[in-house]
Amino acid sequence: MPILFGYFAHLQMSTVAISHLSKSFSSGLFRKSNIQALSDVSITVSKGEIFGLLGPNGAGKTTLVKILLSVVHPTSGTATILGQPMGSTGIRERIGYLPENHRYPSFLTAHQTLLHFGRLQGLSKHFLSSKASELLRVVGLEEWSRVKIKKFSKGMLQRLGLAQALLNDPEVLFLDEPTDGVDPVGRKEIRDILKGLRSAGKTVFLNSHLLSEVEEISDRVAILNKGEVLSVGTIRDITSHALEYEIRLGIAPSEPVLQKIGALSRSLETNQLTLTLALHAKEDLNKILQILLQEGMSIESVMPRKSRLEDFFINLIRTRENP
Amino acid sequence: MKALSLSLLTIREAILKGTLLFYFIVGNLIILFFAAAVSGSMESGTLTITMFGSQLTPRGLEGFNPVEFLLRQLFQSASSAIMLFGIFATAGLIPSMLEKGTVELYLSKPLSRSSLLLARSFGACGGIGANILYFAVGIWAVFGIKTGIWHGNFLLASVVAIFIFLCYYSVVALTAVITRSTAFSIMIAFVFTLFSSALEVRQTTLYVWWENAFFHRFLDSLYYATPRISRMIDQAANLVGKDITTRVLAEQASAGFDILPFVYSFLSASLLYALAIVYFFRQDY
Repeated sequence: MPILFGYFAHLQMSTVAISHLSKSFSSGLFRKSNIQALSDVSITVSKGEIFGLLGPNGAGKTTLVKILLSVVHPTSGTATILGQPMGSTGIRERIGYLPENHRYPSFLTAHQTLLHFGRLQGLSKHFLSSKASELLRVVGLEEWSRVKIKKFSKGMLQRLGLAQALLNDPEVLFLDEPTDGVDPVGRKEIRDILKGLRSAGKTVFLNSHLLSEVEEISDRVAILNKGEVLSVGTIRDITSHALEYEIRLGIAPSEPVLQKIGALSRSLETNQLTLTLALHAKEDLNKILQILLQEGMSIESVMPRKSRLEDFFINLIRTRENP
Repeated sequence: MKALSLSLLTIREAILKGTLLFYFIVGNLIILFFAAAVSGSMESGTLTITMFGSQLTPRGLEGFNPVEFLLRQLFQSASSAIMLFGIFATAGLIPSMLEKGTVELYLSKPLSRSSLLLARSFGACGGIGANILYFAVGIWAVFGIKTGIWHGNFLLASVVAIFIFLCYYSVVALTAVITRSTAFSIMIAFVFTLFSSALEVRQTTLYVWWENAFFHRFLDSLYYATPRISRMIDQAANLVGKDITTRVLAEQASAGFDILPFVYSFLSASLLYALAIVYFFRQDY
C-alpha cells in the first residue's frame, strides 16, 4: 500500500504523468485490421525539464502527444498534466502546442495569426497586441509581422508556430518536430529559446527524429518504437555502456602489459595511447589500473565508455527488430 | 469570446475565399438594377409601379399592393438562390477546419469540440447572413425611396431567411464532419434540397411508389426529422406579401404565417447539429 501511495504521489508531482497509455486504430474495410499505435506507455516528466521523445517514423510519438492534448482518444490508460486529467479545458489554457505540419489560415499576417490564436486561448486583445510583437521579435519574424503567411517559407512557419505555442506563457510546451525545415542558424535559435524556457522553469516535451538536436538540449529522453517505450533516462544513462571504459595513457603500453590487461578483460582495443576495455566485473578496473601503475605507465584519464545517442538509438531499434 | 473570435475568423475566411465577395457584387448589381428600373407614382389615390416604364399590374387583380407583389417574388427567388449559392460558398469551411495540421491547433485550444463546431457553423451562416441583410436593406431602401412604401416585413423575412440558412447548414455540418469533404458536403446538401422538396409533396408523389403503411410512416418520419427548407421559404414569403402569382383573387390567396415549419425545422436542425457534435467528439484527428 505505501508503495502504491508513493507511486501515485510521484505521478501527481510530475508535470506530465502518463500511465499505461495504449492506442489502437481500426482500419481497412469494415475496420477489420487493428493497428497498435501505442502499447502500455508510462512516462513521467518533471517540472523544468526538457524531455525528448525519440523514435523512427511511425513509432507513435505524434500519437502520444495528440492523446495528451485530447486530439486523439486513448484506447486505455490515463495521463495527467500539471496534476489534472489530460484534455480538461483548464489544462489547455496552461499549455502550448506546436503540431507537426501545422497549417495556419494563409490569408492572415503573422501578427494577425498570433492575435487570432491568442483570442482562442482566451487572452485579452490588449495583452495580445504587445505579446504578439514581442514573440515575433523573439523568433526572428519581427520584420515579417505584417506579411501574409502564404508567403512564408517552411522555416518561417515553424518559427511562427513556436511563437503561437508561447502566446499564453505556457507552463508545459509540447513541440512536435519544431525544427523541421528550419535552417541551422534558426535551429540554434530555437534551441536557445528552449533552453531559456527551461531556465524559466518551464517544461518542454519535445518530439523529434533529429537525434543530435535532442541529445544537445534534452535532460531526459524516451525512445519509442512501434508504440513501445524501449528506453527512458538521461542521455548519459542510456548511452553509457555497462563495464566499458576508455583509459588514456601518457605513453603507449608494451605488449606484455597489454597481455596482462587482456587477461582481465572481455575485450580490449588499443588505439595508440587509448585503451578501450570491456570488463567482467567492476573490481577488474582497479586491478587493471594497478597493473598499469606497477608497470610505470602514467594514466591521464579513465572514463566510462559512451556511444553517441545516434549509435545507441540505431542499435536499440535494430536489436528490437532483429533479436 | 473564444467562440466569437472563431466565428469572426470564419466570416473573414468565407469572404476572402472570393465566393461571398462575388455574391456581394451580384447583390449590388441587382440592387442597382431595381434602383434604375423601378419607379412609383400615385394616380387618383392608387399606387402604380412601373418597371422600365411599363406598368406592373397583374391582370384580373384589383386592390393588390404591387410593392408587396414585387418584393414577394424577389424574396422567393433570391432566398431559394441564396440557400443553394450560400451552401456552395460555405460548405468548405468545416472541412478546412478539419484538415490535418489545422484541426490539431484548434483542438489544443481551451475550447470544447461543440463550441468549435458551432462557432464555425455560425460563422459560415454569419457570412451568408451579412450578405442577405445587406441585400435586403438595399432592396428595401430602393423600394422605400422610389415608391414611398417602407415595407418592414421584407426586412423581417430576410432575418427569417438567415434562420432558414442556419437550419439548412445543419445538413452540411453533419456531412462535413463525417466526410471531411467539401465536394461531398455540397453534393449532399443539394441532394437534400431535392429530397426535401419531394418530401413536401410526398402524399401525392412518393406515397404512390409503394402503397405500404410502413414506407409512408418512414417518409413522414424523414419529413419531420429534417429541416423543411422550401416550406419555410414559402412561409417567410407570406410575411412579405400574399401569394397571388396564380392569378387567384387576393382574398383567396394564402397569406397566413405558419410557425410550425420553423419549430419542426429548428428541432430537426438541432438534432443534426447534435449528431455532428457527437460524431466530432468521438473522432481522432
